[in-house]
Amino acid sequence: MSLKLKSKHFVLSLVGLVLGFMIAFSYNLTKEKAEKPKMSDKSWDRDFQLREKLVEQEEKTRKLQKELFSKQAEVTSMEKQISKETENYSNITKEMDKYRMYLGKVKVKGKGLEVTLDDGDYQSSGDVNNYLVHEQHIFKVVNELFISGAQAVAINGQRLTRESYIVCNGPVITVDGTQYPAPFVITAIGDPDVMEAAIDISGGVKEQLVNENITFSVEEIEEIEMEPVLGSK
Amino acid sequence: MWLPIFGLILGVILGLLTDIRIPEEYSNYLSIAVLAALDTLLGGMRAYLQNLYDEKVFVSGFFFNIILAASLAFLGVHLGVDLYLAAVFAFGVRLFQNIAVIRRILLAKWTKSPEKNL
Repeated sequence: MSLKLKSKHFVLSLVGLVLGFMIAFSYNLTKEKAEKPKMSDKSWDRDFQLREKLVEQEEKTRKLQKELFSKQAEVTSMEKQISKETENYSNITKEMDKYRMYLGKVKVKGKGLEVTLDDGDYQSSGDVNNYLVHEQHIFKVVNELFISGAQAVAINGQRLTRESYIVCNGPVITVDGTQYPAPFVITAIGDPDVMEAAIDISGGVKEQLVNENITFSVEEIEEIEMEPVLGSK
Repeated sequence: MWLPIFGLILGVILGLLTDIRIPEEYSNYLSIAVLAALDTLLGGMRAYLQNLYDEKVFVSGFFFNIILAASLAFLGVHLGVDLYLAAVFAFGVRLFQNIAVIRRILLAKWTKSPEKNL
């Protein structure tokens, strides 16, 4: 009986052992498993956060895109304005070219007139000064040429500018510091017909100068080339 | 009397201390096995209280049920049918029935004994 009881207890304890082991093991296992859903919970949270961030970023992107479009429109309008301004500038550039030409800063070429003044033949009686070309004669011619529309004037190849000066210095004439003897060749670019008519007019420059014993000749030239004035401002 | 309880405690300690990792898909089988074991244990208790207890039936039922439940779950996984649900259902229902029977018997004993004492 006692042996039977012991064996009974032994079997029961074996059952208990297996049961306890299984329960504990299962408990451990489920505990580990329970930790994983927590992790996935966290990851879900993270996923949610990232999604929200993504949505936020997309909204931002859309906003920025709108901004970009408006900026692009602005740029287009600006470009149009700039192209208009460029047109204006090109007009200005043309004008500048013209004014530079007047100022003698560029090489010019064109139809024109050549007026040659030379001292008259001195006949040993009277004042020799009456037979020489003086600065006022040259002034008259140059002024007449400018008035009749000359775009550029040169004396013996020396181009005149708005600052030029002409001084009579004995038998020679000084133009901007360079001395030239007679004869004086005054070249003018412009409409030759108009200029010639202006010079030839009765009571005009030609008549006055011829009256003062100066040898005066006018020649129409197809193409005159004038170098720019060096050192001009 | 204390030997089975000692065995239980020893089993729990061993279970808590073992560091064996089993693949997750097998943890289902273990749960079913635990359920089967609990069911058998309660069945045994009920049988004992009803004076129908047979040690051979109890012990063989204990181990056989565990193995059967586990293999049922295994089969279910491999057949694509959630057969472990059947095991859970069957064992769950029997568990509750057994507990109910045990409770009634204990209640009856408890109400009878004071009368005896009186």
